[in-house]
Amino acid sequence: MRRKALREATATLGCMRTVLVGVLGLALLAAALGVAGGVGEARAQAAAPRCAQLGGWQRLANRIKAPVYCPSWLPDPLVAQIGNRWNNIDSVSPDRTYLESWAWQEAAGLNTQEIHVILRGYPGQTAIPRTCQDVKTVAGKTYRKNIACFEDPHGTWTSKSGITATMYTVNHGADSWHVLFAWRRAGSLYTLSEHVALPLTFSKVVTNLKRMLDGLVLVKPA
Amino acid sequence: MGITRRQALAGTAGAVAGAAGIYALVDRHASPPERAAAPSSLPPEQHLLDGVQVITDNGVEVLVPPLHHAVVTGTVAAADLPKARAGLEDALRELESRFPATPAGLGITVAWGLPYFRRHVAAQWERLQPLDVRARKPALLDAIRFPSDPSDIELEGNDVAVLLRSDSEAAIAEAEKLLFEDLGVFAKTTVRRGFAGGGLPRTLALEAGIRGADLIPEKAELFLGFTSTLKDNLGPSRIANLETLGLARIPQGYFRHGTHMHLSHIHENLEKWYVNTSHKGRVQTTFRPGLEVPEGTLTVAQGRDEISSAADVRRGYRAHGAIGHTGALQTASRLARRQIGPDGTVYAAGTAIPQRADFNTLDNPFAWSAAGTESADPAAGVHFVVFNPTSDDFHRVRNAMDGVLPDGTTLVFDPRAEGQGFNSVLLTTRRQNFLVPPRARRSFPLSELRS
Repeated sequence: MRRKALREATATLGCMRTVLVGVLGLALLAAALGVAGGVGEARAQAAAPRCAQLGGWQRLANRIKAPVYCPSWLPDPLVAQIGNRWNNIDSVSPDRTYLESWAWQEAAGLNTQEIHVILRGYPGQTAIPRTCQDVKTVAGKTYRKNIACFEDPHGTWTSKSGITATMYTVNHGADSWHVLFAWRRAGSLYTLSEHVALPLTFSKVVTNLKRMLDGLVLVKPA
Repeated sequence: MGITRRQALAGTAGAVAGAAGIYALVDRHASPPERAAAPSSLPPEQHLLDGVQVITDNGVEVLVPPLHHAVVTGTVAAADLPKARAGLEDALRELESRFPATPAGLGITVAWGLPYFRRHVAAQWERLQPLDVRARKPALLDAIRFPSDPSDIELEGNDVAVLLRSDSEAAIAEAEKLLFEDLGVFAKTTVRRGFAGGGLPRTLALEAGIRGADLIPEKAELFLGFTSTLKDNLGPSRIANLETLGLARIPQGYFRHGTHMHLSHIHENLEKWYVNTSHKGRVQTTFRPGLEVPEGTLTVAQGRDEISSAADVRRGYRAHGAIGHTGALQTASRLARRQIGPDGTVYAAGTAIPQRADFNTLDNPFAWSAAGTESADPAAGVHFVVFNPTSDDFHRVRNAMDGVLPDGTTLVFDPRAEGQGFNSVLLTTRRQNFLVPPRARRSFPLSELRS
């Protein structure tokens, strides 16, 4: 299974490289043509993030009857399409909270490399959930304690799209070992997190998260 | 400006890193604090360091240790011990004449391991070694593997370890060169370097590219964040001397004013500590379960009113399935009752016994080793140096850290379990116990008695 995943990952990365080379070529061509006209227009287009795989996100918004955030960019090789090969969790709970997760893993010697991003929404609630559990078994006895799912706030950051999010550095449940940004909009809580794991460092994860926040597109229920 | 991690540790980054590698950056990021003037005479103890500044942080008195630290270990290379003794003593006196025994100058502590006593002065050692009357064992024991230690921990066999402490990296370098290169009496086995001081752990760990470094609090004194050099945490004056608490019998008073030193190297997993454990969790892991302090607090009072008893630790274990690092240690590291030292000093119940001299390191696990076991990739850790009256006293404290309390209680944990204080983020790689003779007998102790 791991070999298969590795082959798929390698193949995908290869495809991604081909696509990137193509995109770069087109961009150079466009830049050359831009001399003749439309530089300002190109900048305006670049400034407006676009939800490239809108279908799944629109269906999600319709299903939970609340807006959702579609990322216009995810770290390579992830693609923000609900239902694609990297979308390992696509979950909506009875209370309409949703969790969309994309994960890529590669075994590299003793170290597994992983890129893992999670987007969540909690329609109609703004409080940080306390549904996460600290569980440990000591000398045969199990100790369970409900704890806040996001802890250790480290200030806020405002994205280009105007989202002011708080960064949490200690998170639990599916977001364990992730850095997480949380923000509120119209009475709902939203989060975006990424796993701090090789090949990424903490600071690279924070950079990625800010880039993802900059590129979020609000998708309202139709 | 950027330097690579490998350059930083190898000391090849030219003017920035210099011979001491990344530790030279200490002087770029910190200035030596004001230090008191040196005393007019040296104490009979080698391990005491005068002139350590005391500041108040969060209403708690905190000692400011020297900025630079090094421990150099070795084996005896000299065949002629009387000549080697004279040479070493001359060299130490020369250093003392040039550098006051304060952080502003240079603190030198020469400690000797059991291999030295067994190989070179066996008969004299047999007759004059101090004995721990409480443990009914020699005061200096071979290092042991504790329940939370990994199975591949190395129990070292060095003849000698020299602890060098100073605000000046140059003073340490000079002493290291004189004692271990110019003198020719020792063959160096390892060099261990490090630093102490508020703000330095984060800055240097970031420079070294340590994972998790971004989340070290800016003013932290140690990589794990919380301030450890609280005045109340450290044994006062001569409490760790062999003779002070009556723990040791000292034949003919030979080692009077001496002490015991434990040296270990410990890796610290900063990413697990900071990305997987909240501040609240870190407080309770470091101190005791249930303790609440304001968010971001780094200095937590540990006075006699705040210490944990064995009963407190057992209660916490039953309620939370966890023990705090400090709380568990305190069951063995604090005086159970008031005691008066041989010099008339009164030590109140609850006074700390161990005198710590540990320091942050980026060595992996050494800055240099004769065996070539060091890695050029830096790793966050601590070179743990502590003075206790005897090996058994240290072992009692260290066992308490694993939930084996001095009253016989064993709080069961899997090795390095999350509830077992710090242990889940620590990995000890090396240990050794040493005897620190009094200043007057620091150079090849007992060798003068050989016929």
